[in-house]
Amino acid sequence: MTRENLTYVTDASLVSCVVPAGKGDGVLKAARDLGVGGGTVYHGRGTGLRERLGLLGIAVEAEKEIVVMMVANERLDMIIDELFQAAELDTTAAGYIYATPVDKAAVYIPEAALNQLKDA
Amino acid sequence: MTNHVRYGDLERAMGGGQRQVSLDVLSPTLERDAEGNLVPVKYEKIRLPANEILKILKPYFSVRFMDQVRAVVPLAAYLALFQILFLRHLVEDSWIVTGGLFAVIVGLMLFMEGLALGLMPFGTVIGSTLPKKSPLPLVLFITLLLGIGVTFAEPAIGALKAAGQNVIVERAPYLYALLNNYADRLVLVIGFSVGAAAVMGTLRFLYGWSLKPLIYFTLIPVLGLSVYCAMNPEMAKVLGLAWDAGAVTTGPVTVPLVLSLGIGIASAAGKGSNQLSGFGIVTLASLFPILGVLCLLVYVTLAISPDEIIAAAQSLSTATSATPAWYETSPGQEIVLGIRAILPLVLFLFFVLKIILREPLENTSEIFLGIALTIIGMCIFNLGLTYGLSKLGGSAGGLVPIAFMQIDGIEGSPIYIYSVGLILALAFAWFLGFGATIAEPALNALGITVETMTNGVFKKKTLIYAVSTGVAFGITTGLAKLIFDLPLIWLIIPGYLVAAVLTYLSSEEFVNVAWDSAGVTTGPITVPLVLAMGLGFGNATGAVEGFGILCMASIGPIITVMLTGLWSRYKVNAELKAGKHETTQLEQEVGAAL
Repeated sequence: MTRENLTYVTDASLVSCVVPAGKGDGVLKAARDLGVGGGTVYHGRGTGLRERLGLLGIAVEAEKEIVVMMVANERLDMIIDELFQAAELDTTAAGYIYATPVDKAAVYIPEAALNQLKDA
Repeated sequence: MTNHVRYGDLERAMGGGQRQVSLDVLSPTLERDAEGNLVPVKYEKIRLPANEILKILKPYFSVRFMDQVRAVVPLAAYLALFQILFLRHLVEDSWIVTGGLFAVIVGLMLFMEGLALGLMPFGTVIGSTLPKKSPLPLVLFITLLLGIGVTFAEPAIGALKAAGQNVIVERAPYLYALLNNYADRLVLVIGFSVGAAAVMGTLRFLYGWSLKPLIYFTLIPVLGLSVYCAMNPEMAKVLGLAWDAGAVTTGPVTVPLVLSLGIGIASAAGKGSNQLSGFGIVTLASLFPILGVLCLLVYVTLAISPDEIIAAAQSLSTATSATPAWYETSPGQEIVLGIRAILPLVLFLFFVLKIILREPLENTSEIFLGIALTIIGMCIFNLGLTYGLSKLGGSAGGLVPIAFMQIDGIEGSPIYIYSVGLILALAFAWFLGFGATIAEPALNALGITVETMTNGVFKKKTLIYAVSTGVAFGITTGLAKLIFDLPLIWLIIPGYLVAAVLTYLSSEEFVNVAWDSAGVTTGPITVPLVLAMGLGFGNATGAVEGFGILCMASIGPIITVMLTGLWSRYKVNAELKAGKHETTQLEQEVGAAL
């Protein structure tokens, strides 16, 4: 481990996607198809529209999964658009998706990829 | 880098179907009262348009529907295909059977969902508060009563009652009496046994008793009484029913409700819940009913003689030439049975919660909907049981013997020469057992527990295969018992003696897992199907009674799981001794755990 290994990644946003439990892996798969390197799935539970639906609320999954991934700013809108469709968030009380700016981040980048960047 | 145009900016500029709205506009306006404090926002109930409601309900139903389809369809397809391909017979009344299976799927779907919504909340509240608020004897008494209640609500119990109608009174009078005249008392005794098992199991993890001595002390009277009954030719015919009763009791209602109470008691006593707390109740709940049914049998033999039963049954059959009341014929009977199964349990849980605990009930409307769903599901399931599972299992069981023997009224039987047909029939039973078990969701859950318990040495897959193989050989043995008319006692005694020896050799953890694995494998679909198959088979071959397959399916996995456990312990130890590689602390721990 040398200092040279640290390369900051910039121009990134963090996309968080709250979806009904069980759909997290599907969202992750869709994200990977869109060129997102990877993501993390958390388990969560909250309240929202479900509590105002009365008995119909039973049919809404209360347990949620939160998929978090870092995406390039260039592709942010496209990815949010695609994930919104993939997670079927256009349904009552299904969940939501949001992006927050990432100041800087560091992650392992393969040597070959870094060298290519230097050459360019 | 700088002369790029961002995709999002471009799309926004082009008006790419996006709109923006400020969250402030969507948020409700806040108001202050006279003293300047904020008034909490009151939310109104949302009314959705029909298409939105449909959008919510569609995935909700399809997921639950498909769960049951996956459980029912492969088994049914296997039975039907076997009949068509190997026995060259189409399934009789195929439309009725299909409708019946559909009813089973819908009924189980509603039942399971209703259970989760309506009955499980009671279990959780009672389990966590009752042990804290009431003295131990009262808690144990309620556990006992709960055992009776859940047994009545168990879907597979209906299959036992349905089986009674096919017993011929002259051939097995006591069996007929237990399943007809004494049917209610039979279920009561089974329920009481389950309750007693729940009490014993709770005491066990309250005081940290080992399961091994409990198994020995239960096996001695159970096997002793079985031998005593086997001496009497009339009583011996009931042994199959008694031993099958154990397999019927441990289903989707009993296990979670009794467990939640038991674990609640243990954690209230400060014993916490370790990995093994949940085990043992299922084992005892599948052994105690055998004892209970045998005791009831002894009582019945003392009360009436076989001749009296036959005479009573014959006079009854001549007397009931008048049309029976609506609630005694299908479908009215199934509906009445469904309500009678669930309501007592619900009333009992209500009573405990309101009178003894004085606890409020949250989400009342959800719970009432759940209870309604449970009852409706049970009624539909009962209908499906009669027209789908029992009919399919019965006809499959009745047709299998034509593979190797002459059956009256069926042209061209036997289809194959004796040895080929016999092997075909046994192979049919083997794959039925294997296929029905390997897909059981409860077994998957048990596998995960075992894998974490042994630090991954005993793989989930290994357990699932061990149990499935055990059930497969068990069902094959059970079928062989019917074919060759072996006395059940000659299968039970060696089987359980082997199990007892293996229990002595195995470690405590594996004893728990192995004995419980027998209970988890017999779900609400397997039990009726196998029972009906056995009875149909028995009727076709002229055997006295068709019970006994299920109990062989229980002893099979007990033996295979303990053998597998011993084998993997032997392998680990052999490697340690041979010194093939450096032994680490972890491996030694694993060796000890196995």
